[in-house]
Parts: sequence; structure tokens; C-alpha cells
Amino acid sequence: MKRFITLFGVLSLLFSLQFIGGGFEAFAAGGAGAGDTFLEHASKGLETFWKFTGFYNLMDNPANLIMIGVGLFFIFLAIKYDYEPLLLVPIGTGVILGNIPFMEGYKIGLYEEGSVLNYLYFGVQQGIYPPLIFLGIGAMTDFSSLISNPKLMILGAAAQVGIFATFLGASALGFTPQEAGAIGIIGGADGPTAIFLSSKLAPSLMGAIAIAAYSYMALVPVIQPPIMRLIIPKRERLIKMKPPRAVSKVEKIMFPIIGLLLTTFISPSALPLLGMLFFGNLLKESGVTERLADTARNAMINIVTILLGITVGASTQADYFLTTDSLKIFGLGAVSFMVATAGGLFFARLMNTFLKGDNKINPLIGAAGVSAVPDSARVVQHEGLKSDPNNHLLMHAMAPNVSGVIGSAVAAGILLSFLM
Amino acid sequence: MNLLLVDSMTWTITVLGWFIVFVALVFLIGVFLTVPKLLNWGIKRSLRKKNKSTEKVEQADDTVVITGETNAAIAMALHMYFNEQHDEESNVITIKEVKKRYSPWSSKVYNFNNVNFPR
Repeated sequence: MKRFITLFGVLSLLFSLQFIGGGFEAFAAGGAGAGDTFLEHASKGLETFWKFTGFYNLMDNPANLIMIGVGLFFIFLAIKYDYEPLLLVPIGTGVILGNIPFMEGYKIGLYEEGSVLNYLYFGVQQGIYPPLIFLGIGAMTDFSSLISNPKLMILGAAAQVGIFATFLGASALGFTPQEAGAIGIIGGADGPTAIFLSSKLAPSLMGAIAIAAYSYMALVPVIQPPIMRLIIPKRERLIKMKPPRAVSKVEKIMFPIIGLLLTTFISPSALPLLGMLFFGNLLKESGVTERLADTARNAMINIVTILLGITVGASTQADYFLTTDSLKIFGLGAVSFMVATAGGLFFARLMNTFLKGDNKINPLIGAAGVSAVPDSARVVQHEGLKSDPNNHLLMHAMAPNVSGVIGSAVAAGILLSFLM
Repeated sequence: MNLLLVDSMTWTITVLGWFIVFVALVFLIGVFLTVPKLLNWGIKRSLRKKNKSTEKVEQADDTVVITGETNAAIAMALHMYFNEQHDEESNVITIKEVKKRYSPWSSKVYNFNNVNFPR
């Protein structure tokens, strides 16, 4: 104990000596002015610190508080109502991150070159993350329901009417063709495709488009059921479809290869998306690359989802995001989802007029043509069960659902080739 | 919003774009309706080469076809069987003695400084 006290005493003496020395010098220089200098420095330091705080910078951008509220609301929706939590929690947190007011010029913000967030945002700006997400989707999707009943693929094409109707609507509202194309893709109900296309066609609107696309995807269980009940009469909702046939392994392996060749030859602009989607599926179905498929559908897609969610969220800085254009985009997005759902449903009813007996389809599955996988298929199953508790439509709905993914990627490629 | 003011290029992209999406997917449908037929034809052909009559092959086809529901039932039964296997234990209880070997690592005696310790 004695040793400890001695050591502590020596150290504190050495520490205080430097102040005494400094104090003498200050005293020699200006006498009583030394105390003033210290106070001056302290107040200056505190003032600088205050200027660096979010509270001070909030005075310049009070709108950031609104966006922080939006971010908190997303997190609330995800946790309380389980609406796409894997997307809304990172996006909500990103929205909060992007709207914390800060002093510019110190490589902090997402739009400041050289900042950490800016580096992470590079993957969004250059459209790197969406194809990687598609790789994971391909590796986790079972296309057997589609292979067993390929005619359901047409419903995926029918639902893409949402994309082109919104494109038309956005053009009529005064957006440039490129911006209209990027906004239109919200109707595809496919987040990665929306980000991919908007990063190429209208980078300035990407934040609003991505947030609109993901928000409406999360709200699929709210948006779709009323439209389904409105368009499909009760007796048609009761139609039972025959079970899909068993699909051989060879067919499953051939599907990604043929799909890749055909779709990319038709729409090469969508090569990064379609190529990765079918590549991921080939990893899964080939049966010899299970390790790669496992990484693609688990670790990799999770990492990319985190990065994508947080950076897309952070890109919604109030001064960039809170504009009338964003409001228009949100309005158009809602309409496009409704049009896409209605398009699929009407086409399913139309198909039924040409189909006989056992081959008739339950028109509810038309709503799954929007590519919000697997949410819209789940909504169809839920609605089917409401009409008939023994009618399971999930497997049938997965066919138009996954073809919707292909359809929206093809549509994105077409828009790119027309508008780039 | 006035759709009449939208230029002809936008209308062209709208109509043509949707049409191309349709064509692409109809093309895929055509291919995937043909692939199983080609595969079946290939199987029949190979069986025919092995001196089996087409009739027999067709008969075999009828018997071999198993619906997805049957497959699911078989899979479920197997799954349950293999899961329940876990419950069958050997009923032999072995208590192994845990040996604690001496290691100076984190030994308590080294945590104290025995020199000048007040008594």
C-alpha cells in the first residue's frame, strides 16, 4: 500500500509540474491574462463542439426530424406488424442515420465523397448490390411449380402492365422519359430491379423510388386483398386447381440454362439481373455446388441486404428527399401496385375462358404475378383459404410469382434499352 | 395528368415494351412445354433401343407417374420416421469421470503477490 501511495504521489507531482511551468510562462507573458486565455479556449472549444452537434445543425435542416420520424415508423411497422422486417429494419435505421444533422465537409454524410457511407453507397449507385441479391434469390427459389405448369408464366407477364401504366402516368405528370421509366419499375414490385434501373436511369430519384418500392412491397398484404375481392367473384375464388406434376431433376437443371439463354438474348440490358438469378438457381439445382448455393442464399444475400437497406435508407436525406417529386413517386407507386395486381387478376379470368374442366385456374393466383416474392403468393394462399379452408393455392401462386421476377427483370432491360 | 399530351415515343415504349415482355415469357412457355415432351421422347427412344416395345413403355409410364401429393406423403413419412429414430436411445448410462489436470495457467496462487503482504 505504501509503495502504491508513493508511486501515485510521484506521478501526480510530475503531472502538476507541467501546469506550474505553463502557468509561470503565461504569468510572465501577460500576468492575470492567463486565466482569461484558458476560459477563452474552453468557451471556443465548447462552441466548436456545439457547432458539431446534431442539435445545432438541426436548426439548418429541421425537415430531418420528419425523416427521422419516418425511419422510426418503418422500424415500428417491421417490429410490431412484421411487415418485411428484414428490409424495413435496415432501411428504417438507414433513414435515421442519413438524417442525423451534421457539419458538412468532414466526410461524414452519404453524399460526401470519401465518407464510409459513400463507399458503401457505391454498390447502390453502380447497381452492384441488386444482381447479388438476385443471385441469392435464384439460389433459394424453387421453380418446380413454374416448370410443371408453364402456362402460368403468362400471368407474370400480365402483371407487368403496372410497370408500363406507371411509365405512362409518370410521363403525363411531367417526368422525363428516363425518370418515368425508373418510376414505372415500382409497379414490378421488385426492390432490387427498381434500384438497378433507377441507378442507371434516374440516380437523383433512386432514394424515393427504392423507399416507395420497398414500402409497397411490405404493404402487399394490405394493398392486394381488397382488389382481389373486388375483381374475383366468390364462385371463382373456390376453384380448385389440380396438383402440379412432379418435375424431374433434368428439367430443373435445364430451366436456368434455357431461361438464361432465352431471356438474356431477348433483353441483354437485364443481363446482370437475369444472369445472376439463373446462375443462382443453377447453383441450387445442379446438386454439385451446394456450398456455393448455400453461401449465395444465406450469408451473401444477408450481407448485401444489410448494406443495401442501410445505404438506401441513408440516401433519403431530407434536403434530397422531401420534394414534391417524391410525393408524386409515392402516389404513382401505389397506383402501379394496384394496376399490376388488377392486371394479373383480369388476365387470370381471361385465361379461364379458354381453359376447360380440370385445367381451369383459380384467378386469385393472378395477383401473384407482381414479383413481390413470396409475399404476394402468401396473400393469395391466405385469400384462397378464406374462401375455402381446404383450397391451398400457395404452390400454384408461386409459379406466376417467380415468373413475375423474370418478367420485371425483362421489362427493366427493355426500358433500359429504350431509354439509355 | 393528361395522357393525350404524352408523346408518341412514350406510347410506343409502353405498348412495345409490354408486348416484348409477353413475347419473351410466351416463348419461355413454349420451350418449357416442349422440354418434357422431348425428354419423354428421349427416354422412350432409349428404352426402345433396349428392345422394349413402345406399348410396354407407355404402360410403364402409367405406373411410374407419381403425383406430387404422393411424393409429399412419402417424404413426410420418411421425415417422421427418421426424426423419431432419435428417440430410441441405447439406455446405457455412462458416467465419465472428469479429470482435472493441473495447469499453472490462471492458477490462483499467481494472482497474489506474496511479498510484503500485511499480516
